[in-house]
Parts: sequence; structure tokens; C-alpha cells
Amino acid sequence: MELCQSVLDGVALAGEATHIPDVCFQHFITKTIEGVLDKSSRNTIKDDKVFNKLDKSILKEAYSGVLSLLLEAAKFDAETATLSAILEECKFTQDRIDILLQLYQEKKLFIQILLGNIGTSPPHIVDVDWRLDYYIKSNQLEKVNEPVYLISLKTEVPGKTDLEEVQFSCSLEQLQFLLAGDLEQCLLTSFESIGA
Amino acid sequence: MLLMFEDHHKEHLSFLTDTDIDVVKEFCRISMDFIRKGANPKVYLGAAQKLKVEPETVQHGVEGLMYLLTESSKLMLNEIDFQDSILTLGFSEEMRQTLLQLYLQNRKEIRTILSEMSMDLPHYHNLEWRFDVQLGSRSLRRQTTPTVLFKLHTEESGLRETTVLQTDPVNLVHMTKVLDEALQEIKSSYCRRILRNIK
Amino acid sequence: MEEVDKIVIHSLNVIGCDLDEDIQSLRQFSTELIVSSAIRCLKVINNEVDLPNSLPSGMSARFRTGTSLASIIQELGYKGEIGYQTFLYSNETEIRKVFMFLIDKLPKDKVETEEEPLGASALLQRTISASVARYLDSPWVPPYLKSKNITWRGKPPVWQKEGALSACKYHSLPCKFSHGMGDLTKKISKEVRSYYSESLPYITNQTIHHCDTAPSVMEDLASELTAQQEWENEWNTIGLPSRLSEQEYRARKRQRIQKRLKDNLRSDVQRSGDLTSSKSAMDLQQMIDAMGNRSSGSAKTKGSRFIHTEQLIYGKDEEKTLSQIQKPDIDKGHTEEELQKEREEDIENIKTEYNNLISKIDNLELESKKLTASMKQMEDQMSTLLQQNQDKEESYKVKKRTLDLLPDAENNITKIQSVVDSSAQRLVTLANQWEKHRAPLIEQYRELKDLNSKKESEAEKKLEEIKAFRSKMKEVADDARQKEELQKQLIAEYERMTKDVNRSAYTKRIMEIVSNIKKQKDGINQVLVDTRSVQKEINMLSGKLDRTFTVTDELIFRDAKKDESVKKAYRNLAALHENFEQLIQTVTQTGTIMREIRELEDQIEHESKSKVLTNLEKITSDYQQMKKENSTMATKFKQQKS
Repeated sequence: MELCQSVLDGVALAGEATHIPDVCFQHFITKTIEGVLDKSSRNTIKDDKVFNKLDKSILKEAYSGVLSLLLEAAKFDAETATLSAILEECKFTQDRIDILLQLYQEKKLFIQILLGNIGTSPPHIVDVDWRLDYYIKSNQLEKVNEPVYLISLKTEVPGKTDLEEVQFSCSLEQLQFLLAGDLEQCLLTSFESIGA
Repeated sequence: MLLMFEDHHKEHLSFLTDTDIDVVKEFCRISMDFIRKGANPKVYLGAAQKLKVEPETVQHGVEGLMYLLTESSKLMLNEIDFQDSILTLGFSEEMRQTLLQLYLQNRKEIRTILSEMSMDLPHYHNLEWRFDVQLGSRSLRRQTTPTVLFKLHTEESGLRETTVLQTDPVNLVHMTKVLDEALQEIKSSYCRRILRNIK
Repeated sequence: MEEVDKIVIHSLNVIGCDLDEDIQSLRQFSTELIVSSAIRCLKVINNEVDLPNSLPSGMSARFRTGTSLASIIQELGYKGEIGYQTFLYSNETEIRKVFMFLIDKLPKDKVETEEEPLGASALLQRTISASVARYLDSPWVPPYLKSKNITWRGKPPVWQKEGALSACKYHSLPCKFSHGMGDLTKKISKEVRSYYSESLPYITNQTIHHCDTAPSVMEDLASELTAQQEWENEWNTIGLPSRLSEQEYRARKRQRIQKRLKDNLRSDVQRSGDLTSSKSAMDLQQMIDAMGNRSSGSAKTKGSRFIHTEQLIYGKDEEKTLSQIQKPDIDKGHTEEELQKEREEDIENIKTEYNNLISKIDNLELESKKLTASMKQMEDQMSTLLQQNQDKEESYKVKKRTLDLLPDAENNITKIQSVVDSSAQRLVTLANQWEKHRAPLIEQYRELKDLNSKKESEAEKKLEEIKAFRSKMKEVADDARQKEELQKQLIAEYERMTKDVNRSAYTKRIMEIVSNIKKQKDGINQVLVDTRSVQKEINMLSGKLDRTFTVTDELIFRDAKKDESVKKAYRNLAALHENFEQLIQTVTQTGTIMREIRELEDQIEHESKSKVLTNLEKITSDYQQMKKENSTMATKFKQQKS
């Protein structure tokens, strides 16, 4: 994990008691994490009365610095030791380091959820519906008499809120083949990978 | 079940009752070609010249035969029913046997052709899969997220289509379970009873 | 034996046998426990062993299990005696032997890999299988019950992705940071400062979509970081040796780039100019004209429609379009053809006019070129003339002076002579003076030069040093990073190892046992030496006895020939000797018997250990049970037959 000078400057500003007093340090860090995690509180720091008396330009720089630091740390799954070394370099007091590390550990997984959700993926199957029909006859053909499965795969598509469907029909033999030949093989592979 | 012929259909076929057995065989061949590849007026002209009749008569004969074959295949007539049905058309015993042979030989093919013509849904053709483990992304290093990639090939009226899908082991287990239930359903006593009764 | 038992029990626990904590020795093992743990061991050794995991209840099945167990163990190479009885009617020592053999046979590679630090790939493999296992163990949850396709599993809870609902693209936008507020040395203008504090939105509120915030921040950081690294690299390789300050270097670089840009642009322009000189000139002219005409054009639409004769093509075009727009209003009666004709005529006129103008311009250009050339010539001429003029004026002045001096020639000559002399003298003194000044100056100059070169070489040396330090710094940093990584890995390894609490205790105990054995060996050696010395003593004594006996025998025998009473004594001696011999024999016999007794006692103890009585009872009861089973089977068989 490497950080550039401007981020370190911002972090150092956050560590100085003259700029951000001890009283509101914890609140400041909490706000920073909330700001990136929660859409509704992306701008709540602006109207927060706790920070009323602080120099806004310094507050902003510290805010972006700490945010970058936390994002980068979560991205690389940094250990607390690494983080505390960086903070020490930025002349944080031990109390502040403890506060920040504690909040980082509390929220790390949530930040990682946020980061893990960035990226594209094909439609993701989350459920499957089926319907069993008995095909008796059609206008072209009579006495067909064979079972037909209608299968609908429910998928989640990135960027859409509703489930999408992929539908197809298959005969009994095809379904058997699909299950035994593909899906179960695939499952077997995943089980094997545990054993390995 | 017997096949009911309409009058003009009978009339069309009546031309064949007076001809040689070889001619009937030739006509049968032509009508099978018709079913497979569609009409061919040139053949009609040639046959008409040979037999010294109107091409229209030839055409009617072929079409009549074709209709007979497709209808009986569509209804899946058994041997006896088929014989009984064509009894009314006034063919000789030998010709009836020839027709029956022709019907039995080609019934399966005709049914496949008919099934291709009937309504088609996108149906399963093939499924390719791959088991991956995502180890990192631009925004999150050091993760181990197992994923399963599918490439589903479906077919609708001869058109192939592929869909790329993805899932995770949890959903894969679920999917396998649900589809297995679907497979088991056909073996349930309820389904078997219905299948037995319909046949 | 306790130690051995502990090791055996621990190893059994490791391979997954479910032993109670209060079982401390093999004596406490029940038959079921023995069989199940033996089977467990076999399964670990060879995966294909087909045996039930626990002892079956039926007697015959038990018997079968026991026999197959014994045969499998024999196949593995067990040398001792073994059979079903070893397991079913157990005896502590035999069981211990069997278990020691089995545990010895347990696959060792697993243990070995744990000892050395795991490679990164093995660690990765482990985490992968752990996460796949976690996924496979978790129950399925319908999508509408998951919050944003994430579920929490395991202990401590870890999230896992089971969908793609909330996935979004990595879409980054440029962000605006406030910079350098903490750095007092940097001057920030009031305007910027007020912008920072008043208007600049907070970083989480800068993007349109909130989900773009994290990518934007990360991207910004990454780009700044790469720029910084690039700069550092350049500064180290090129910047430092150029011996410029950072600002100077940057300024020079900027200049260089600007110059190159300019050159490139100029050469490109020239090249394109060569290719289509006339056309580009035309285009340029048109554009310039267009600029010029724009203002007048707007005036035209307002007022006069009259065309100046000097008006150029563009103006004409505009005029034409204007007239075309207006024409339909005026000439509504005209037919298309007439219009066409008119237009063609117009075009024709314009073309000729255009050609005329072009030729005129060409002519004018030529003329102006000629004129400028002649002007230059004239200027040259003028300057040469001016030069000549000056020279002549100069010579005129000298000549006038000499002419003035001519009348009083004698006098003036001497005057001039003296002047010349004095000036020569002055020159000499000046030269002397100059020499005086020059010598120290030159000296100083040389010194300074030397100093300078010394300094330069020193600076160079220092530069080299700086470079070396920088590379060293980097190396050390890399090293530190690597070591940190290794340390992390080792810590993880260690954490996993500590589960094996007994390990160190075991090694300690093994060491103790080894030292104990050594001590015992010493003791045995001591005893051996003792016995040997005792043997020696015995031999010596017996020899002495023999000798004394023969001596006394001879003496008394000689006397006996002479004296009758001595004969008696001789006989007594013989009897005495015999008796003593007998005594010694008995003593040795008692010794052997004692030894035998001890051996027998040992055997008794051994036999009593093997629980003969209980086992006998067990065997009889099992025999009864087996009989019963057989009889029930027989009756069943008969029933079926009938």
C-alpha cells in the first residue's frame, strides 16, 4: 500500500489537535466512513454542528485525506500494524491511532463490500423456477405425448433493481443431461477444490 | 380412428387407382420429395408427358398422396387404421400394401418434419461451464470469491443463441436441488397416473 | 509407558478420533474404542479401507471386523502376533504395540508441511478452499431476503457475495481536493482559500452518483502516486546529475517541451505549406478576409446593398447569397431556366473577376518583392557610404591638426618628442605597475581555480554518494517490505501452530525420556561391570581354593603314608572338600532357582495383566451369544425352507 503526499498531508491535518480537536475526532472519523458508505449521509458533514467552528478548508482536506487512506487500506486489506505505522508517521497521538484503528476494524468489511461490488459481471443466477408440461398435441402434430420442462432462470443484472429472466424449454432427457452432466459435475469440482 | 376424406381429395387420388403399381411407387417418391423439399413443377411436367395426362392431374395426385401421408402421420394412425382408411379409396390390395409400407417407412421422418414446423420455444441446446475463483479486482485486492460461469446455448427455430451467466456455489447448490426436484416430479405417482391415462 | 500412551492418545485425537478427555492411558480403552480408533487410523493411512466406523453389535460381525482388521494390519507389515482376539479380547501391551505401529505408519507428509513455513501458493490454496467450503455450507437465501446481494456467514461473520444486484461499474470522475492548507510555507491566495472553505463540495458529494465516489477517490490517488513516482524516477536519473535546483529543472524542461512543440508545429506548417501553398494561402486569406468582413457584413444587412469594387470573393459570396434570398421576392415571374442562366452568368462573371484579381495579386506580390529587395540594396549602400564618410572625417581632422602645427615645426617637433617620451615613460611605469598588480591577481585566480575544481570533484563525489544512498534506501525499503510480508506469513503460520499446544511439551518430554534412557544405560553398564568383577573374584577364589586344596592334599597324602592318624585326617579332608563342593553347587542351584522363580513371577504378572479371567468370561459369553445367533439363524433358515 502506497500513499501520495497530498493524502498524507490530509491525514496529518486530521491528526493535529489544533485543527480537529480531540473532542470531535471520533465523530469526524465516523462521519468520514459514513460519507462513503451511506448514500443518504454523503453530505451530512456539511451541516454538522460539531464542526461549526472549524476551518472548513482544513476540514475538507482532512476529510478527503482520511477517506483516501481508509479506502486504500480496505482495498489492500491492510493490517492494523501497517495502518498504525502510517499514522505514526503522520504524527498521530496513540489515542487517535487507537480510535481510528478501532473504527477501521469495525467498518472494514462494510467498506470492502462497497469495493467488492464495484466491477462488472454477467447476469448472476439467484433462483430458478420450473414448470412441467405434458405436450399432448399441437396444430401440426397429434399424439406427441412427451413431458416438456419450462425453465426460468432468475438473474440479477448489475445496475438493475428487478430480477431478469432467462427462459428456455427442454425435454426430460435434456434436463437429465443438464443436471447430471453439467451442474452436478460443476458442484463436484467445487467440492474437490475444498479437498485439494 | 379413421381418416375421413373429402370428395375432391378422393377425386384427386382416384387417378392413381387406374395406373400401374410402378407409377404409384414413383408418385410416392415424388410426394416424399415434396414433403422434404417442397413442390417441383418440372417433375410434374415430365411425369405428365410420360403418362400422357394433364400436368394438373399429376399435381393433384402427388398432392393428394402427400396430404394422405401427412394427415395420417399427424394423427399417428396405426397399421390397421391406415389400411381401413384407404380402403374407401378403391386401391387394389397390392397398391394398399405399397402405400402402407411407404407410410410406415416414412412416418417417423414426416413427424419430425411436422414437429419442426410446430410452434417452437427457445429450447436448451448446450451448456458450457467453468469454475472460477476471483482473486482480486481493481477496487478490492485479496479476495477469494468462487464463481461459476455458464454459457447457455439455446435454439429457437434453428437460430442459435448464447447467453453468458454467472452464479455462486450457494445458488448452484440451490439450482441443482430445485431442478432435481423437477426431475423427480415426473416420476411421482400423480404424474405417472396422468401419463398412463392420456396414452 | 504413560508417555507412550499420551503420545498415542494425542495422535489419535489429531486424526479425528473422539476420545474423552479423562482417558489418560491405553488401559482405559474399551473394546469399541480400540476397534473404532484402529479403523480410523487405517482409514487415514489408506483411504480405501472398507470397514464400518464402529464396532457392530452382532457377534459374528464383530468377529469378522476383528479378523479383517488384523489381516489389514498384517498386510501393512506388522511383525507381531495379531488376530481378532487382539482387538476383541484386548491386552494392554499388545494393543500398545499395535497402536504404536499404526501411528508410526500414519502419513507423515502432513506433519512435515506444517513444520516448514508454507509457501504463498499453499496459503492461497487454503484460503480458496476455505471460502469455497464456506459458500457450500451456507444455506440458500431467496434474493429478496438478502440486503444488496450480500449475506453474512461464519464466525466471526464474513460477508459473501451471492448476486450482482448492487454491482456497479468502475466509473471514476476527476475530483477536486483542497491542497496545502496545513503547509504554512505555501502561499494560497485569498480567492482560492475562500473557494476551498465556501464553495468546494465535500469529496463524498462531488460525483453525480454516490457509487462513483470510491472509484474516483482511488483513481485520483493512483494517478497522483504514479506521477510522483515518475517524477522521482526522472529526478534520480536525469535531474540530479544536471545539478539544477528542482524549480530550475522543471522550468528548463518546460522550455524544452515548448520549444519542441513549436518546432514541430512550424515544420508541419511548412510541410503542408509546400504541398498546397497556393491553396493554403487562399484559405488563410479567405479566413482573414472573413474576419475583416464580419463587422462590415453586419452593417451591410442593415444598410447599403452596393458592392465595393475592391470587395473580395468572400464578400461576393455573401452578397450572392443575400441576393439569392431576396431574389424570389423580386423576380417571382421569372422561370427556372432564366434563373439558371442568370446564375451561370453570374458565376462566369465572378470567375473572370476572381481570375483577374488573382493575377493582380500575383503581380503586386512580385512587385513588392522586387521593391523590398531594392530597398535592402539601397540600405546596404547607404551604410557603406556612411562608413566611408566617417573615415574621411577622421582623417580630415588629423590632417587639419598637423597642418596647424606646421608653421612652428621645430618647436613643435621637440614638444611632440617630449610628449612622446613622457608618454613612453608613463607607459613603462604603468606596465610595471600593472605587472605588480597582475602577479597576485593571477596567483589568486589560480588558487580559486584549483579550489573550484576541488569543489566540483567533491560535489560529484557527493552526488555519487547521494545516488548510492538513494538506491540503498530503496533496497532497504524493499527488504523491509519483504521481511514484513514474511513476518506476517510466519505470524499466521504461528497462530495456526499454537493450536498444537502439546508440541513443545512433547519434545521436552521426549528429551527427558532420552536422557532417562541414557542414565539407565549407564546404570546397566555399571551393573555389568560389577557382575564381571564379581565373576572374576569368584574365579580367582575358586582357583585359589583348588590350588590350596591340591597343596594340602599332597601334604596330607605324603604324611598319610607315614601316619595312620593322618590318613583319617586325609579322608576327612576329602570328605570336607566334597561336602563343600556340594554346598557350592547347592548355592548356585538356589541362585538359578531364584532366577527361575523371579521369571515365573514376571510371567504371572504378565499373564494377570492380560486379563485372562475377564477375557475368558467374555469369550464364553460371546461364545454363548454366537451359539444363540447361530441357532436363531438355523431356525430362521428352517422356517424359510419349510
